[in-house]
Amino acid sequence: MSDKLIIKTENLKKDYKEDGVVVHAVRGIDLEIKEGEFTAIVGPSGCGKTTLLNLISGLDTPDDGKVWLDGKAISDMSGKELSDFRRDNIGFIFQAYNLIPVLTVEENIEYIMLLQGVPKKERHERVLKILEEVGLSGLENRRPTQLSGGQQQRVAIARAMVSNPKIILADEPTANLDSKTGSELLDMMAELNEKTGMTFLFSTHDKMVMERAKRVIVLKDGKIVDKSEIDIV
Amino acid sequence: MSLYLKLAWRNIFRNKRRTIISGIAIAIGLASLIYVDALYIGMKINIVDNITKSFISDGQIHRKGFRQRQEVELTVNNPDKVIKALKKNKMISDFSLRTYSFSMISSSNNVNSVLLVGIEPDKEKTISQIDDAIIKGNFFEGKGDNQIVIGKKLADILEVGIGDRIVITAAQAHSSELSQELFRVSGIYYLNNPEMDKGMAFIKIGKAQKMLNIGDNFHEIALKFKKGTDLLNIDKLPFWKNFSKNGNEALSWMGLFPQMKVMFEMTNLSLALVGLILFAIVALVIINSLFMSIYERMFEFGVLRAIGTRPLVAFKLIILESAALGIFSILIGIIFGFIITLIYTKIGIDYSGIEVMGVTIKNIIYPVMELRQFIIYPVIVFFITLIIGIYPGIYAAKLKPAEALRKSL
Repeated sequence: MSDKLIIKTENLKKDYKEDGVVVHAVRGIDLEIKEGEFTAIVGPSGCGKTTLLNLISGLDTPDDGKVWLDGKAISDMSGKELSDFRRDNIGFIFQAYNLIPVLTVEENIEYIMLLQGVPKKERHERVLKILEEVGLSGLENRRPTQLSGGQQQRVAIARAMVSNPKIILADEPTANLDSKTGSELLDMMAELNEKTGMTFLFSTHDKMVMERAKRVIVLKDGKIVDKSEIDIV
Repeated sequence: MSLYLKLAWRNIFRNKRRTIISGIAIAIGLASLIYVDALYIGMKINIVDNITKSFISDGQIHRKGFRQRQEVELTVNNPDKVIKALKKNKMISDFSLRTYSFSMISSSNNVNSVLLVGIEPDKEKTISQIDDAIIKGNFFEGKGDNQIVIGKKLADILEVGIGDRIVITAAQAHSSELSQELFRVSGIYYLNNPEMDKGMAFIKIGKAQKMLNIGDNFHEIALKFKKGTDLLNIDKLPFWKNFSKNGNEALSWMGLFPQMKVMFEMTNLSLALVGLILFAIVALVIINSLFMSIYERMFEFGVLRAIGTRPLVAFKLIILESAALGIFSILIGIIFGFIITLIYTKIGIDYSGIEVMGVTIKNIIYPVMELRQFIIYPVIVFFITLIIGIYPGIYAAKLKPAEALRKSL
């Protein structure tokens, strides 16, 4: 882990209107995450975890405050620049895996490289390599529906990592998995974090994630209520 | 195949039932256009056939003003020169000379006015269908010049049959002296055309020339073009200009029957309207299908946008899906259209007896398939699918990733 700040937010705020009622999802969050951190944002449902991840990744725009990723203010980017920035710098892992069902495992993983303009041969080689790393060698021609939940989430991890992003944002990545599979996946992600130095930021209320995280940020009613670092060693 | 194309093609089959229903709806529209187009061509050919083979022929040459005034003196100018030129012309397969005069026809029982037509019987057989329409007697097969062929309705009015005597009274050219001749009915025809069945009588041209005192002159040359001539576009030939000189005018059947040209233009317009309605239905089907598909996959679009798919690429994906749906539908439509039209080109449609702008359809209409129908209409449908895809494509491109991810949760 280096001292370089990879994620920084300043007074981040976001409100939603639900049935005419204003919901303060995120209420002035200041956050700094260093390169290579393995961090979990925890809190009860509705505390603003997903909204915070969306704001950090530029999927959503804040009502107030700023986000810097790798030193760049994402609020200054155009829609196209932001798409390209996400493509090249952020890997996403979603709770429900969200693989494209009509594409094979290989095609799902190579899609992001296609967006980057990586040549076909290199795409294929990188897919095989990443599948080996996530323990899914030989399954490249299967459709997502032919895989178990754990395998699908591994594919999602492979898809998130194949473009060598600086940051991996994972929204409740183990929520749909049984504890054994979830535990295996977390071990794998921790190992990849160690190996690649990529920054991992999870939103979760899974105890296993909290136990493995090197740092836990507790969120309540859209505010950070406690910041602590857990020395897993 | 590029991954984008694979994605588009496979996506349209994610909901097979919807895609098949949409595809069939579009295909039926396309097949209908192909069929209606083929039917219109068949109908045009049938009508043209009826016009040109009845008595009008493929075209005619007259002295300028004759058609309007019908004066006996207005015979074709420079007849020998015109006949020589026609004999040399490679487009003409045959021609026949005719005379006309409004005459009085009387039997022992009744009297009627009639358009007396002097014809060359042997040549007329190749030009018109009068000989085929004979229902009693024959078409100038007997000897002598005093044979007359009349229509069934006229025979009924005059109360005459084969062999009965008839007197024709006609005004001679230049002098306006009346000329009267006795004829014997040699044939009675029925063309199912009230005007011709009641108002025309045919005699040999030599006798007519004598009666009208016009020497070897004549009023009309009926033309027959060689087989393979495009009768639907015959008026575009330079022939008409070349023979419209020295005080004569040469007109194609279209020039003689201008109302039919207007009718064909209206037919084309109605085909375009039918096409427009069908294309509008196609457009609605595609829009509905694409939007349903987008709404069903809202989260997926959110994910695609989240992982870095640019708005333009999201737009491209929808356009490709639209194109894929179009290609699928077009393939079915071409097969449907081909099979249905092929069946009707064999069995035809019986509209015989129906009168269109004074022309009675006599034969079964056979739709005519042309390669054009299987290229132009599918291409139009394909471009429509692309154009229609723009709206849902823009919608997909404008989707905010976070909203898309939230909407489907």
